[in-house]
Amino acid sequence: MQLDESRPRSVRSKLRSAACLLLTAAAPRMVQAQDPAPSPTPTNQFDLTGLFYSERIRVLEPTIRYTRISPGGRTFSGQFGFDSITGASPRGSLSSGQVQTVTSASGRRRSIAASELPTTEFSDSRFAVDAEVQQPAGPFSFTLGGHFSHESDYESRGVSGKLTVDLNHKLTALTFGGGYNSDTVSPVDGTATGLAPPGRFTGIVDNPKHVTNMLAGISQVVSRRWLVGVTGSLSTEDGYLTDPYKILSVINRTTGVPISEVSERRPDTRSRKSVQGDSVYHFTSNVLYLSYRRYWDDWGVKSHTVDGRYRIPYDESLFVEPHLRFYTQSAADFYRYGLIQGESLPSYATSDYRMAAFRSVTLGAAIGFKPSRSTSEWTLRAEYIGQFGDKSPPGAVGVQSTLDLFPTINIFSLALNYRFNR
Amino acid sequence: MTDVRQVEDYFVGRFAAMGGPCEVLIDADSPYRARHAVEIAEVEARRIERKFSRYLPESVVSRINASNGRLVPVDDETAQLLDYAASCYEMSDGMFDITSGVLRKAWTFDGGGRVPAADAIRDLVARVGWPRVTWKDRELTLPAGMEIDFGGIGKEYAVDRAAAIIGGEISDPCVVNFGGDLFATGPRRGGRAWRIGLEDPDHPGRTSIDRLDVSGGGVATSGDARRYVLHEGKRLGHILNPKTGWPVEDAPRSVTVFAETCSEAGTLSTLAYLRGRGAEAFLRAEGVRFRIV
Repeated sequence: MQLDESRPRSVRSKLRSAACLLLTAAAPRMVQAQDPAPSPTPTNQFDLTGLFYSERIRVLEPTIRYTRISPGGRTFSGQFGFDSITGASPRGSLSSGQVQTVTSASGRRRSIAASELPTTEFSDSRFAVDAEVQQPAGPFSFTLGGHFSHESDYESRGVSGKLTVDLNHKLTALTFGGGYNSDTVSPVDGTATGLAPPGRFTGIVDNPKHVTNMLAGISQVVSRRWLVGVTGSLSTEDGYLTDPYKILSVINRTTGVPISEVSERRPDTRSRKSVQGDSVYHFTSNVLYLSYRRYWDDWGVKSHTVDGRYRIPYDESLFVEPHLRFYTQSAADFYRYGLIQGESLPSYATSDYRMAAFRSVTLGAAIGFKPSRSTSEWTLRAEYIGQFGDKSPPGAVGVQSTLDLFPTINIFSLALNYRFNR
Repeated sequence: MTDVRQVEDYFVGRFAAMGGPCEVLIDADSPYRARHAVEIAEVEARRIERKFSRYLPESVVSRINASNGRLVPVDDETAQLLDYAASCYEMSDGMFDITSGVLRKAWTFDGGGRVPAADAIRDLVARVGWPRVTWKDRELTLPAGMEIDFGGIGKEYAVDRAAAIIGGEISDPCVVNFGGDLFATGPRRGGRAWRIGLEDPDHPGRTSIDRLDVSGGGVATSGDARRYVLHEGKRLGHILNPKTGWPVEDAPRSVTVFAETCSEAGTLSTLAYLRGRGAEAFLRAEGVRFRIV
């Protein structure tokens, strides 16, 4: 059991050549992707997420994401999601102060309480598949993606591509991207004729909608602790951009009582632009993420978004991340809380609250937990979103001026993510 | 997500793999390059773990151990590790033997006083012996009842591999440390050495009893810090003598060796440890930098 002491250093020199053989012989295989055997085993990562949110509608949205990272740097990820949505969505019509009956665009009738804003009961499900491949090549990184989603009245197909170039020893990165979506809107009972009484249809079953977008961005490492970036994007939409289920109330010019309803109608093109600035600052262990986004489109909607997150790691297995966001937007040029009986019809009109001027605040926090001696990770994110609009717009007439025309919208959401490697 | 954070003026990324904590230190300005380095290390650690862990039923090692005496063809990388293991056996006169893992079946190194029965050990020693393995032309025949494992080679190999791949993509100096076996690609910016703490065998995971400066190369430690039994007032470490089936007598608490690669350092520290009281003389004769506790 004793080594031969008469041969000093013989072990080391032998060992060195053996180790040299071990390491140099094995090393090149990592870069030779064409060498089929043995294939370096890639990392397989799974993300299971359950999102639940509650507004007037309740949505349960489980998704599963699979990511495969090959040792050469190529990443493939695919996501499958299934949403189940039930609830009531505001239809855009006004309340009367009296019990009223509402015909929906699809012709169903029901009664609602007088002071409530009318809503449409609905139940829908949606499934979506996304796939993306990212391939690094020297200072370049190419990303190609595809997307398909289906629900009973909406189908979406899209492709996207992105190129990232690292410059200046990776201190600067430029990103260029583009995408194209071809969607089909097939309203349940038929396509409502815009600004005509609900129940009148155009006869078109499938309405096309196309979206093209482009983006360009630059990110720069300013110091060891600070990274900044600016991204500009441009998107054009054309086709059927109207919400097939939203309607407007036509009200009496003096009493303000809703007399009748018409389906909404929006322009068939939209050009959207945005500029966003991001900053990531690393303190000793905490990280502050800040971003500001300016958005404007040719429908007259302009918005500002300020978003901040602060990540506080407690130890290796736990982090907490508070989140705060402020948003404010102006109304679309053709937003009307209602139409006045007897006035000539505008070309376009909507009462959709998402096209109104409003402000919103998001308060939230995430907690991440990574059990020690495990590759799995849990993240729980809880958020409250409050949307506040003009409850009594200046043009409100008659009874409408006494009613809340923009009830505060409270949305609560809870998302649980479980990630593991296999 | 991989956990990467800034500590003073460098970055540290951590993850768990190969049965323990893994760490990558990168002396870089860019958190993205740091993250990239950590991700490379993690991917490579998991790849090697999946391929060679004796605990994972789909690994090459498990496949060999389940071969029941049949011939098993292996791929290049496995062949290189087997060649290396064969060299280690030869140069250690049989003290470093990758078939000795079966001996662990008899021992429970939980810090208690349980020692196996003599005949249990004798039966297991009969199942140990690299010369009984037929290994040539990338084909291995392991007699039924025997097992191999790459303990003492695999982790060190993974460290060297991960460091080599990182070095091929990123020029920033870094240290890859898998469960205490590490490799530094070079000195820190400004020529400073990396400061490596030496774990106190009496307080594993808590305290450093010494600070070792490393400017490059591999460092590995063998010892009984976490796994030992107490027998007749003596503390017996988990490294077993393949010839007797018993833990090495009068072994140091820990042997740390510095060498050109982590694989070399790991093998030298194991060989030194296996020599018990002769560890220091052995390392002196080999002319390597070391630290014995």
